[in-house]
Amino acid sequence: MMKQSEKRGWVGPCIAACCILGAAVTIGSPKHSAAIDLGNFDHQGQKVFRSYEATPETYLAADSGDRNLARFYELRQYPGSPPRIPHGVEASFSGDESNCLSCHGKGGYSPEFGKFVPVTPHPENTLCYQCHARVITEKAFGESDWQSIRPPRLGRSFLSSSPPPIPHSLQLRENCISCHTGPGAVVEIRVEHSSRGNCRQCHVPAVQTAPVNEFVRPGP
Amino acid sequence: MTTTNNQGDNEVTMKLNRRRFIRHAATSSAIATAGALFPGISFGSWPQLANNSGLVSWQKAPCRFCGTGCGVLIGVSDGRAVAVKGDPNCSVNKGLCCMKGYHSVQALYGKDRLTTAQVRKNGTLVEVPIQEALDLIADKLKTTRELHGKDSVAIYGSGQWTIPDGYVASKLFKGCLGTNNVEANARLCMASAVTGFMTSFGLDEPMGCYEDMDHANIFVTWGNNMAEMHPVLFSRMLANRKRRTNVRIIDFATRSTRTSQAADKSILFKPQTDLAVANAICYEIINRDWVNWDFVNQHVSFHRGKTDIGYGTEDHFAFKDQAEAISFEEYSRFLEDYTPEKVEKISGVAAKDIKYLAALYGDPALKVTSFWCMGMNQHTRGTWINNLVYNIHLLTGKISTPGNSPFSLTGQPSACGTVREVGTLTHKLPHGVVMNQHHREMAAGIWDVPLSNIDPKPSYHTVEMFRALDRGDIKFIWIQVTNPMVTMPNLRRYRDGGLKGDRFVVVSDVYPTPTTDIADVILPAAMWVEQEGMFGNSERRTQHFAQIVDPPGEAMSDTWQIIEVARRLGFEQQFPWSKEDYIEKIWEEYRRFHAGPKHEMAPYSVLRERSGVQWPYVNGRETRWRFNPKYDPACSNGKDFDFYGKKDNRAWIWARPYEPAAESPDNTYNFWLNTGRVIEHWHTGSMTRRIPVLHNAVPAAYVELHPEDAAELGVVNGEMVKIISRRGEVTMPAQIQGRGVPVRGMVFVPFFDESYLINELTLDAFCPISKQPDYKKCAVRLEKA
Repeated sequence: MMKQSEKRGWVGPCIAACCILGAAVTIGSPKHSAAIDLGNFDHQGQKVFRSYEATPETYLAADSGDRNLARFYELRQYPGSPPRIPHGVEASFSGDESNCLSCHGKGGYSPEFGKFVPVTPHPENTLCYQCHARVITEKAFGESDWQSIRPPRLGRSFLSSSPPPIPHSLQLRENCISCHTGPGAVVEIRVEHSSRGNCRQCHVPAVQTAPVNEFVRPGP
Repeated sequence: MTTTNNQGDNEVTMKLNRRRFIRHAATSSAIATAGALFPGISFGSWPQLANNSGLVSWQKAPCRFCGTGCGVLIGVSDGRAVAVKGDPNCSVNKGLCCMKGYHSVQALYGKDRLTTAQVRKNGTLVEVPIQEALDLIADKLKTTRELHGKDSVAIYGSGQWTIPDGYVASKLFKGCLGTNNVEANARLCMASAVTGFMTSFGLDEPMGCYEDMDHANIFVTWGNNMAEMHPVLFSRMLANRKRRTNVRIIDFATRSTRTSQAADKSILFKPQTDLAVANAICYEIINRDWVNWDFVNQHVSFHRGKTDIGYGTEDHFAFKDQAEAISFEEYSRFLEDYTPEKVEKISGVAAKDIKYLAALYGDPALKVTSFWCMGMNQHTRGTWINNLVYNIHLLTGKISTPGNSPFSLTGQPSACGTVREVGTLTHKLPHGVVMNQHHREMAAGIWDVPLSNIDPKPSYHTVEMFRALDRGDIKFIWIQVTNPMVTMPNLRRYRDGGLKGDRFVVVSDVYPTPTTDIADVILPAAMWVEQEGMFGNSERRTQHFAQIVDPPGEAMSDTWQIIEVARRLGFEQQFPWSKEDYIEKIWEEYRRFHAGPKHEMAPYSVLRERSGVQWPYVNGRETRWRFNPKYDPACSNGKDFDFYGKKDNRAWIWARPYEPAAESPDNTYNFWLNTGRVIEHWHTGSMTRRIPVLHNAVPAAYVELHPEDAAELGVVNGEMVKIISRRGEVTMPAQIQGRGVPVRGMVFVPFFDESYLINELTLDAFCPISKQPDYKKCAVRLEKA
């Protein structure tokens, strides 16, 4: 069942992408259009299922309560920016797969830091330092007038009892399991029903940075 | 250990209890709950917008920084840029950026942004209305020309100029003012790539595209630390290696870097000997009979040029190469000096490693892509080494097909778009060169200027331009979007030159820099998406961006600054556009220069819609691989390939020898000095250092030493080392066993930090053909400070 729906999920976006992009990606032939790599934009939930299958129930349900949203946003410059590396790294740090993913790939307890480790939602991107910067000093080069928007509000259900929508963009954050379950999860955004793996069965993306569009029937 | 585990378990139990508590407490707004739990902490450490609706609109742009040309989406709220995400519609980066891209918008908001014009009066800079500064510039230009001749004024721009910026600069100076004193810092960055393309193929810019990465089996990085300098492309390479089992990465470099660490094999060579190794690879390919004879017989001709060509360290240095056709046998005899065994002695690369490289290039079953950037271009034989790598691809026929690609990368967002395509170099025009009568006629026609205005003789290339400023041959220079008082080699001479009494220096920039420090007039410039414009990236992709936010204060686009001055000089007819649509009008005028299947550019309306369009753009289709009739509509010879850039319809293999560097270590100056970048900072750091995340990761420059050299010198990590060359000295902290490790006898210094001006030490020797200086090789000695 799942496999089938996955397949359907792939064909749709392929066609849609072709239509939207048009010749922007120089589609030479229909054969070429199949080569468009949608693997990085898996909004179809495939990743969630795989990750759910691979994570033991006890781990999903565990909670260290160590991390909170304040700390989560302290490492960021705006909602959705890649967090800085909050711990020391060797000067020779090359940010490669084995170095970072040995802890951040699967999570678990780190005796070195005495903490449960947060899990990356995008382990397929292995050049970690491409986006995540170390912190050598907190001193600024000069003053900045940087401002950004408030982080998305939590628990904004459309009805009093309905499941809250997903408030953030899913780009590079498609895997709900990695951030919303397990002992390394941020306490305020941890789910209480981690035994259910099909997150997007109930939670629909309604990105808070976009206005809510109401359905209007197209005119004749 | 057991104790730790027990403690951990207890902690989990405790936290679980608290979790239950939270669940009960969190009814409507978890933020309120958490706020109550952790009083005094507000979410989001950044200052929040006053009108904080939380709503964001996303608009496309190319990234401001390197030449990769990633598509970004800029989040705008309340008139300010507040966030960035990768543009999933852009085939360059497919939704992923690097740390510079993700934080790029923060560079707009440093508190020391230049927002008003400043004019030096009695030695001090004073703020004036921008119109007054523009009056002064126009007046100075006019009187300097009258007093000292048309070639006493110059404009110096950059590969960060938008395409319209460069176009109006060229039109004003070459077309209206009649001087070829138009240069750009891309001369320091990829002039050798251009002359390499021109001498081997007769047409500039890569035949391939980034999609080559999804087809190649072998990647060879030639002196190119892609992991830090082109991270988005490098991670695409890594993803390919992970996804396909038959992919290998070979790093060929003079220093061990993050790229070497990630590569399957790292091969180190002595500086400058890449020339010998490339020839040895060709020797081996011929010796083993791995030559693709079908390809070579139909599509290749052999040539040699002058040898012992000098280094250009003296003023007024002149050189003109002379091509001479040779036979394959003559070429093959030339290569006999480059057997792998002989080259092992010159280069320090084991003969078996040279043979290994040759076997990869020579295996007809493997698709090979070579990448390079500054390592090969900033080289006193830069044109030659570009030619030599093309030789390898041409002998094996591994070119212009998906995955087979000699790929010259660029370092600036519009080095290709503005400098190479618009032709903002002394000898260039938007189409062709000033020396060519037809090209001058075309320019005069489109520009609506008399043909006699365009001088058929090139004047000064960048190094010579700053020498002319020092000598006094140039009295007026306008510098836009670049920071030469950090980046010029042999910097002290050129700074002293700019400071001389009767020199008039205008600088348009967004932040104060060492270059604005020597300015007589500073113009505040609009930055990146504060104006409309286009960039052109490494793979022939033109990328349009709309004005997304307002520039601060009186800041104005560089294009409009030039238009304002041009009109004050009486050229209203050539610069008639209105502020509402000048970018569109300029683009459509410029596009006429490139009409035809070899370089057709997309119309404005198409550029606006898409996340970049590759040229040649013919009949609504982009060209991914040039010279290959399956993809390139300009091919017309009916064969598998058509190298139509050269008159003989062939690509040229060049016999180019190994010649030593301009300055090598000796008994007194016993170390090589190599300079470059780090992933966090871009160019001279004037933007990236004002981005907190990036500055906090690498707050200052340092000198990388080999651990054994450091031990002999008696310095440990962080201790100060004095680096001394024949031209200058700088004292800076040592970094040992950092992210890069130079070989023994070499030090490496990143150049982004204006507090440690490493270019006061570098040598202004350049490739005699491309006139691009070598920032990677000069001799220094070290002292413990």
